[in-house]
Amino acid sequence: MSNELLEFDVIAEALMEKASREGAETMWDRKKALKTQCGFGEQGICCRICAMGPCRVSPNPEKGPQRGICGADRDTIVARNFARMVAAGTSAHSDHARDIVHAMHLSSAEGPFKIRDEAKLRQIANEWGIEGSDTKETYELAHELAEMALLEFGKPFGTLKFLKRAPKVRQELWERENIAPRAIDQEVTTLLHSTHIGCASDYESLMRRSLRTGLSDGWGGSMIGTEFSDIMYGVPQERASESNLGVLDEESVNIVLHGHDPNLAEMVVVASKDPEMLEIAKANGAKGINVVGMCCTGNEVTMRHGIKIAGNFYQQEMAVITGAVEAVIVDVQCIFPALPNLVDHYHTRFISTSPKAKIAGDLYIEFDEHNPYETAKEVVKVAVDNYKNRDASKIEIPDLKQDTMIGYSVETTIGCLDRVVNTQVDIEGTVKPLSDLIWAGVLRGAAGIVGCNNPKTEHDYSHVTVMKELIKNDIICVTTGCAAQAAAKAGLLQLEAKELAGRGLKEACERANIPPVLHMGSCVDISRILDIVARVANERGVDISDLPVVGVAPEWMSEKAVAIASYCVGSGINTYLGIVPYVDGSENFKKLMTEGLMETTKSVFVFEKDPVVMADLIADDIEEKRKNLGI
Amino acid sequence: MEHKAVNLFDVIFEGVAQYKERAEELVAKTIEEKGREAVGKLPDTAYALPVIYAITGEKLETVGDLERGLEMAAARTNRTRYLQDALDAGVAAAMYTEIIQACKYIDGKPHPEHVQGHLTDAMVRSFGVALVTQDIPGVAVIIGKHKDPEKLAEIIKSYQNKGLQTYLVGDVIDQAVEQNIKMGVELRVIPCGYDIEDVINVVSVAVRASIMFGATPPGEWIKHRIYTRDRVFAFVNVFDDWTPKIIAAGAAAIDMGFPAITETYINEVPTLLLHQPDSDKVVTTSLEARNIKIKVTEIDCPVSVSSAFEGERVRRDNMFAEFGGNRTPAWELVRTVGLSECEDHKITLHGPDIDDESFKAGEVVRLPLGIEVKVAGRAMQSDFESVLERRLHYFMNYIEGAMHVGQRNITWVRLTKEAYEAGFRLKHIGEVIYAKMLDEFGKVVDRVEVNIYTDEEEVKRLEQELARPIYNARDQRLDSLTDESVDVFYTCTLCQSFAPAHVCVVTPERLGLCGAVSWLDSKATKELDPTGPSQPIEKKGLTDERTGAYQSVNEVVAQASQGAVEEVTLYSILEDPMTSCGCFECICGIMPEANGVVIVNREFGGMTPVGMTFGELASMTGGGVQTPGFMGHGRHFIGSKKFMSAEGGVERIVWMPKELKDDVADRLNKTVKELSGIDNFTDMVCDETIATESEAVLEFLTEKGHPALNMDEIM
Repeated sequence: MSNELLEFDVIAEALMEKASREGAETMWDRKKALKTQCGFGEQGICCRICAMGPCRVSPNPEKGPQRGICGADRDTIVARNFARMVAAGTSAHSDHARDIVHAMHLSSAEGPFKIRDEAKLRQIANEWGIEGSDTKETYELAHELAEMALLEFGKPFGTLKFLKRAPKVRQELWERENIAPRAIDQEVTTLLHSTHIGCASDYESLMRRSLRTGLSDGWGGSMIGTEFSDIMYGVPQERASESNLGVLDEESVNIVLHGHDPNLAEMVVVASKDPEMLEIAKANGAKGINVVGMCCTGNEVTMRHGIKIAGNFYQQEMAVITGAVEAVIVDVQCIFPALPNLVDHYHTRFISTSPKAKIAGDLYIEFDEHNPYETAKEVVKVAVDNYKNRDASKIEIPDLKQDTMIGYSVETTIGCLDRVVNTQVDIEGTVKPLSDLIWAGVLRGAAGIVGCNNPKTEHDYSHVTVMKELIKNDIICVTTGCAAQAAAKAGLLQLEAKELAGRGLKEACERANIPPVLHMGSCVDISRILDIVARVANERGVDISDLPVVGVAPEWMSEKAVAIASYCVGSGINTYLGIVPYVDGSENFKKLMTEGLMETTKSVFVFEKDPVVMADLIADDIEEKRKNLGI
Repeated sequence: MEHKAVNLFDVIFEGVAQYKERAEELVAKTIEEKGREAVGKLPDTAYALPVIYAITGEKLETVGDLERGLEMAAARTNRTRYLQDALDAGVAAAMYTEIIQACKYIDGKPHPEHVQGHLTDAMVRSFGVALVTQDIPGVAVIIGKHKDPEKLAEIIKSYQNKGLQTYLVGDVIDQAVEQNIKMGVELRVIPCGYDIEDVINVVSVAVRASIMFGATPPGEWIKHRIYTRDRVFAFVNVFDDWTPKIIAAGAAAIDMGFPAITETYINEVPTLLLHQPDSDKVVTTSLEARNIKIKVTEIDCPVSVSSAFEGERVRRDNMFAEFGGNRTPAWELVRTVGLSECEDHKITLHGPDIDDESFKAGEVVRLPLGIEVKVAGRAMQSDFESVLERRLHYFMNYIEGAMHVGQRNITWVRLTKEAYEAGFRLKHIGEVIYAKMLDEFGKVVDRVEVNIYTDEEEVKRLEQELARPIYNARDQRLDSLTDESVDVFYTCTLCQSFAPAHVCVVTPERLGLCGAVSWLDSKATKELDPTGPSQPIEKKGLTDERTGAYQSVNEVVAQASQGAVEEVTLYSILEDPMTSCGCFECICGIMPEANGVVIVNREFGGMTPVGMTFGELASMTGGGVQTPGFMGHGRHFIGSKKFMSAEGGVERIVWMPKELKDDVADRLNKTVKELSGIDNFTDMVCDETIATESEAVLEFLTEKGHPALNMDEIM
């Protein structure tokens, strides 16, 4: 079997053939079985919000049904469907963040949840105006800060605290346009309310409310998720790791961590080093315990511990198909419900752990946040015990892995920039060197390349192609999520990748000793990108929308990505999508996204499927911004 | 403060366009006046227009060729969005400025007497060792006009005190003159010229370092710019407002890895283009930008002590005191004593000081001088004494206002009036020696005591009783040191920071080709820095006694040169000759019709019988490349029995510049006498005062019965 959408991945074909031989079903079999996907759904003009429907309206204004039973036209239906994706995406990131804050509320000096980065705790506490942030006892302060953060989800009045990080002009714009987000839960709830039968039908109003909800993700849920994870588990530091399925070790117990939340994963990493577990592993004939990451849980633990990256979203089934995985341990988001069926063909155990994402089939061991380490040990033990059940004839680990540098949090990136600071001229600890490089034209601009994989396009190809094109043109890339893992596998996250960059970016990489594409973390960590972009804007006294920076999601698929794109555009960043969301059915809504928003947020969505063309558009966009800045 | 950002690349391209216009005008004018066939290359360089040669691989020799240069520069000017093209345009600017320079030099040196302008190949080669050893730790290029000439003088002096070379371009030259800054290549303050285009003279030095020492192939510009970035620690200071031309030149500098620090704001580029409005911080900003670390030794001395003053001469009209020089006895001695016999930092003057009441005001003070330096240390070996003693020459020359010539009991020291007025007295010589000795030799020397004698009786007595016996014992030891009598040779890879593929093999009878590293030096270096540039080569696996080929030598050389050179011989210049870094004192080349070789020293600027100048001969080798028939070497090697002994030895020498011939005559004559019984061999060796034309040289050799004529065919 040959699959053109997997051609870019040199190890995929053999594994797909293996699956086929072994009777294991994959996403590709299911995609085939679905035949042509629903055209009305694709265009966003099918409404099943109330029980009078489903109402499918015509995409053609000239013929066919123009309105649903209640009278909602294609603009309303598309806008409501879009809004619901934003609400769902925002809820996912934010609920994730709430779990982290909860863990922080449970933290104590004795553990198992502990404060690993006290400095950052005090810094955020200070930023949020807690008195005595320098002097209070660590855990007293942590609990106070955690409570304050929990209120960000449901406080009755006021807007989100992290909005203050944005440039003043942007904050004023949010106020003026009435899109400054209030409590996160409120924004999600009110948006869902607006989409209820018989509520908002004005597509512009729905868009505005969607942007506000999206902003409550970016500057709220996601930012809290990132910052509080750093406090709990440490600010990511520059370090070396490896990526791709070749990181599975034939002689060790392989545990794949998949999902998004660091709480359980952190504990699993510790449990995998527990002498008791190692002893059982050895008794079962294994060399040791090899924990590897997949998707954003993988990103969380690679950023903080250098845990190797097994792969991204589309490889979750392939990891199992290698026959070398003892357990896939999952928490929330982006987990195929197909995995429990798939593991039936192998000795692999599939363990879901979150009540929010209980996945039917195989094992469910609920994560007990009061005894997290016990849960972790229990799941690790399942894996270790399972080693002896391996079927040697089914093991086929691709011989491919790639050296990777990871860990570029905002703090670490600034630390790298400090390497080029002349202390007689400037102070350390700022983004001024980055802004200088951009203002001088050495770097033309910056792009945040993020998002998932999607079988509508060739896997990883768009991610990697856009990145390669941009770095060639002296545009520095930062990346998170599955895009970051695509970059890792393609070798773009290593220092040597500077050779693929234009002279300007190459010089910058050599002098700061960084790769041309910087891994900033998981998908909630796109808030790190907002943070660094805001710092550059503040450094120069301009709005984010003035900067030559763009957001890019070449292969996105999840609702979270729709929320992310919304908050990027809401923040003044032109955002390029390689997959068109379900909005084709409304010319008006699409025009609002791609042109009209320029008036509101000074930035727009851009849809472009071809990554090479997309890179050209981005380069021109960046040059236009430079021209307006007079640089 | 708000700074106005500009489109930096627009500024660069504007500057390039201005250079282009001027270059085109000048070339057109020069062609009209001189014709296309006239000589268009720069003087005293083997590389025509060296920068253009490095960039393009083409030597532009005639005025007509300059048109080709204009075309090549234009081809490098492409306006796009990207840094690479902006820097390429900067490189084009360098090409235009070199073309402009060539036009200016068409009738000879276009600058006033005090302005150096273009530097000769020999000058560049003479910097070699100093650059390698970081004795010159960096190169400052100052452009423009300073608001406050006194501050400018402070900056220049600060660089000079740290040993940096400072090149001046523009009004800063006159400002420095007004401030009584002494200038010249030997003082490391070098005026390039008044036009911004004259900055090419520095670029040319950096590029020639890459060609000469790096053996970087001409035409492979990327390699040149990486060489200069990694090995030539230059930077630029721009005072007053910048102009597009300055920024375009800055782009060339940045391409080569040289940061620019501007007084007037322009968009900053971290590490490469910095804005420093505070004149007091320019030096520290610059040193940090180029990551130049200065070893600071605090010395109790009222005048500056820096390698930059090494080349300073004290002339009669400015002389306050003089010691030795055939007028009074003078000697210097370093000797090892036990720890208990040495009181650390004790400096004693025995006899009158230079401010003694007995001297008449206005008359030159003349005194005898004996300098005895007692050193003690557990790792000290008496073999190192002469190594340490030779350094006294440098230490004393580092003193601003002091000149030291000679060694042992032919020492000659002069002090300036300024030094005396600044408070310099004889004990300060002791302070400098004390500080420098510990600074450079701290690994073997734990204690240093200095006795300075000026009492005539005492100086004479100690010379006889103390110094001479030690000199004699050392000479005997040196005579007994032959390549056969030792078990190890040494590598010297000191130059690899500059010439990465070169490695010297130092033997007792063959010192390093720079002339500065003897076998004893290497031995001491190994002791001082066990993993450093001098590593022992166990003498084994002799495969050819005649050429001096050893397996162990080949293995070590292959390893130390990273595989660039796999086989070398010690005594042949035709078969796998030893490589050169480029900073050799002399070069020897075959003159086939005379069946011998000519030797030219770096200082000699004239033509030789082989039709090439020193620079041209030198360009045949260097950079760690083996070129049979050419070999760089030290002056001292000329008197060695091992000098190209595979091809018949010293008797092959048929021609040398007179100065060199006179300098080496004693040793050379002695060697030849021992080997073949011929007396006064150097009388048979031709020099430029006799002939430089091949036929006339042959005539002279025949008339004198030079032995080379009757030897086996050299080739």
